[in-house]
Amino acid sequence: MTAPLKRIGGSLVVLAVVLALNFFLFRVMPGDPLTSIVDPRFSPEAKAELASQWGLDRPLSEQFVVYVREMLSFRFGLSMMTGAPVWDELKRRVPNTVALLLPALVLSASLGIWLGVKAALNRGSTVERVVLWSGTVSFSFPSFFVQILLLMCFAYFWRIFPLSGTTSIPPPTGGAAAIDYIWHLALPLFSLVVMGFGGFALYIRNMMVKALGEEYVLMARARGLPFRRVVWNHAFRSILPPVLTILLLSLPGVVSGAVITETVFSMNGVGRFLLEATNSHDYPAAGAAFFCLALLTVGCNLLADAAYVLVDPRVRREGSRE
Amino acid sequence: MKSVSRFLCLVSFLFASVFSVRAAAAAFDISRYSGPKMKDLYYVTIRDMDAQLLAMSAGQLDVMSNIYRPVDVERLAKSGVADLSLAATFHGMFVTFNTRKFPWDQTILRQAASQVAERRRWTRDLFSGYCEPMSSFLPVISPFYEDGATLLPSGAEAARKRLSDAGWTWNRSGWLVAPDGRELPVTKILCPPSSVAATTTEIATLMAEALVSIGIPAQAEPIDFQTMLARVDVRDFDACTNAWSMSRDPDVLYSFYHSSMDVEGGYNMSGIADPGLDEALRLLRYAPDEAAAREYSSRAQKMLAELMPVIPIYSRYSISAMKKGWDGVFLTDRSTADNLLTLISMTPAEGGERAIYWNIPEEIRTLNPLVSSSAYDWTVLGTIYDTLISVDPYTFEDMPWLAESWGISTGERGSVLTFTLRPNLKWQDGRPLTVEDIAYSIQFVKDNRVPRFYDSVKDIESIETDGRTLRIEMANTSYWHLHNIGGGVLPLPKHILEKVKDWRAWQPTNVPHKALDGTTLTELIGTGPFTFRESRTGEYVHMTRNEHYMLAEEASK
Repeated sequence: MTAPLKRIGGSLVVLAVVLALNFFLFRVMPGDPLTSIVDPRFSPEAKAELASQWGLDRPLSEQFVVYVREMLSFRFGLSMMTGAPVWDELKRRVPNTVALLLPALVLSASLGIWLGVKAALNRGSTVERVVLWSGTVSFSFPSFFVQILLLMCFAYFWRIFPLSGTTSIPPPTGGAAAIDYIWHLALPLFSLVVMGFGGFALYIRNMMVKALGEEYVLMARARGLPFRRVVWNHAFRSILPPVLTILLLSLPGVVSGAVITETVFSMNGVGRFLLEATNSHDYPAAGAAFFCLALLTVGCNLLADAAYVLVDPRVRREGSRE
Repeated sequence: MKSVSRFLCLVSFLFASVFSVRAAAAAFDISRYSGPKMKDLYYVTIRDMDAQLLAMSAGQLDVMSNIYRPVDVERLAKSGVADLSLAATFHGMFVTFNTRKFPWDQTILRQAASQVAERRRWTRDLFSGYCEPMSSFLPVISPFYEDGATLLPSGAEAARKRLSDAGWTWNRSGWLVAPDGRELPVTKILCPPSSVAATTTEIATLMAEALVSIGIPAQAEPIDFQTMLARVDVRDFDACTNAWSMSRDPDVLYSFYHSSMDVEGGYNMSGIADPGLDEALRLLRYAPDEAAAREYSSRAQKMLAELMPVIPIYSRYSISAMKKGWDGVFLTDRSTADNLLTLISMTPAEGGERAIYWNIPEEIRTLNPLVSSSAYDWTVLGTIYDTLISVDPYTFEDMPWLAESWGISTGERGSVLTFTLRPNLKWQDGRPLTVEDIAYSIQFVKDNRVPRFYDSVKDIESIETDGRTLRIEMANTSYWHLHNIGGGVLPLPKHILEKVKDWRAWQPTNVPHKALDGTTLTELIGTGPFTFRESRTGEYVHMTRNEHYMLAEEASK
C-alpha cells in the first residue's frame, strides 16, 4: 500500500512544480500579452489600461495567488484572447480532440502491433520487408505533407471526404449529424493512423524478434503449446509492459502535437488552442492548457504503473512483498 | 509615382478585367445600392492555405482573401474557377534603425542606407511583383501621401559619394570610418526566422548585404518573433524589420516618429527625436481642419525624408479570389472584391437564391465588439455593426453612412463634432436606432475605459442629443476626432448595453434576445447588412440578411 501512495505523492509534487513553472516560465519568456499588440492606433496609455484590466500591473505574488486559486478550482479565469472563461474554451475543444485522437491512437497501435508481430514471425520474408519499408515511410514522412497529399487525393481529386471542418455547412440535423461528423473525422483519422502505425510496427518487431529468441519461448514451444499461444501469451506478454508505457505516455504528446492535423483539416481542437494561447501570451489559457496536459501526463503515468501491475506478475509479487 | 501607377494598371488589367461592376470614379453614391440580395452568409474557417486553395478550386468557397504567395495567385488564375482582384493597401514594411546610438544616430548614414536599398529588385525577386516597392512614410494610396518627398538618388555609388562628401572615409579593409575616426560596430538587423516570415528574413539579409556594399558592417539576425518584439520594446537592438498596417489618416506618423512616443511599448522604435519634426507632428495631430492636416502632413513627410529614421521597403497588395458566377461584385483600383459592398450587392448570375461562403483563415476568437482585437473577428463584426461615417471606396474621403451629414468646428475648448442620423434607422431586432443609443455607447466605452476605443473617446468633454443630431465636444482641437469617433466608435443598442454587467466577459452570442417580431436572436445586435444567427467555434459563423438594413430594398423593409 505504501508504494502506490508514494507514487501518488510523487505525482502531486510533480503537478505542484509544473503549476509553479507554468506561472513563472510564461512571465520569464520574452514578451507579454501586450507585446503582441502591434497597432499604431493603440497608444501606450491604452495598453496600460489593458494591462490594468488583465491584472498585469499587480505584484507578481498577488498574480501568483490568483493564478493558483483559479487553476486548483478548475475555473482557469478568462482567456485574454477570447474574453470567455478558459474552462468553456477547453470544453468546446476537448470532444473533437478526443474523438479524433483516441481512435487514432488505438487504431495505429493495434495495426502497428499486429504488423510488428507479423514481421517478427516472418523474418527475411517479403512480409517483413514490406512492414519495415512501410513502417519507415510512415514514421519518417512529415505529417503536413502526408495530410495535404491525402486531402488532395481523397477530398479534391476523388471527392470521397470533405475538405475541412467537422461538420457540413449548413449542418444536418438528427441522426444524419452523427454520420456527418464521422464522415468529417474519417480522413484526419486515416491520416493519423497512416502516420502513426509505423513507429509501433518497427518497435514491436524489434522487441518481438528479441523475445522470440528467448529460452522461455523455446521451452514453451518444446512443451508443445500451440504456436499462437506461444506468440501472444508468452512472447508478446513479455514485451507488454514497455508497450503499454509507450502507448500511455504518447497520449499527452499526441494531444499537443495535434496542431498540424487541426490546421490542415481546419478542426477545432485543443492542440491549436494551446499553440495560439502560447503565441499570444494568453496567460490564463496557456497556463490551463499546460496544466491539463501535465495532469494528463501524470494520470497516464499512474495508469501505466497500474497496468504494469496487471500485466507483469513480477511487479505484482514485488508489490505484495512490500 | 508614375511607374507605380503604370504597374498597378498593368496588374489590375491582368487580374481584374472580368468583373461585372466597375463603377466610374465619380463621386460615389451609396443610394444607388440596395441589399443584401442574398439571404444566407457563412463565414467558413479554413486555416491551412493549401486547404483554402483546394476548397476554392473545388467550388466550395465563394470568396477567399489575403492570397499572398505568388505561386497560389498563379495557380488560382490558371484554374479558371475564380476571378482575382488586386489592390494596393495601407501595409508598409520598413527597416528601422536605432537612432539612439552610434552609428545610426548619424542622419547621413541613414540616408546612405536608404540609397542602397534596392526595393524594386528585391520585391521583384521575392514577390514576383505582387508587392509594391515603397519609398515613402505613408502608403501611396493614402490620401495624404506626399509624392516625391523621398527621392534620393539610389545606388551604392551615390551613397558613397554622399558619405564621402560629408567627410566619411574607408579603411584599408574597405569598412566605413566616421569623420571623427570612429570605426563602425557590426549592425545586427533583427528579423523573424524564415520559418515564420521567410520574405522578411530575406529582406533583412538583402539589407545587410546592401549596407556591406558601402562599407557598413552588418548582418541579419533572425530570432524568435516574440523575443524580437520584446527586445525592440526595450530598445535593445541596432536595427530591425517592422511591418505595419496603417490607416488613411496620417496621424500614425505621430505614433511612429514623435519623441513622446519613445517610451516602452510606444511605437517610436527608431527613437528619432527632432524638435522640428516633433513640432510638425504635434501640429498634424492637433490640426483643426483638413486643410491644416494636409499642410502639416506634407511638412512632416518631407522632414522624415531628410531624417530617414526608417527605410521604407515595400507595401503588400491585397489579392482576393471570387468564384465565377456572381454578379454585382464591387471593386475599384483601391479595393479588392472582398468588401462590404460586394457582400450587399452580389447575386448569382443564373438568378435565384444561393448562400455565400466566405473564407476566414483563422478561428473567430470572440464576437464581443468591446474586447475583440483580431482582424478576422472584425471581418464578421464589420457586417453586423455600422459606423456613423464611412470611407468612399474610390477616393478614401469621408462619406455618409448612419449619419447623413456631419461637421467639425472649433469651439471654446476644442473640436465640436456634429452628426445627423439618417431617418428611420433600425437595429437588427426591429427597434429604432436613436441618437440616444449612440450617445450611450460612446459614454459607455468612455466610462469603462474600454481599451480598444480608449484613444478615440478619452478627450470627450460632453455629449448632447437633439432630435436626430448628436453633438460631441472635445477637450482639445484635432481634425482626427472626426474619424476616430465617426468612423471608429461603434453604435451599440442602449437596450442591450444596459443589461451588460461585465463587459469584458460579455459573450453576446450566448445570450438569447427577442426581436420585435418575436424571433429569437442573440445580444449581438447591430445595424449592419447581416444578422448573427449561429457560430460553431473554429468551423463557421452563420449570418442572415438584415431585413431592417438601411439599404434594404423597400419591399423587404
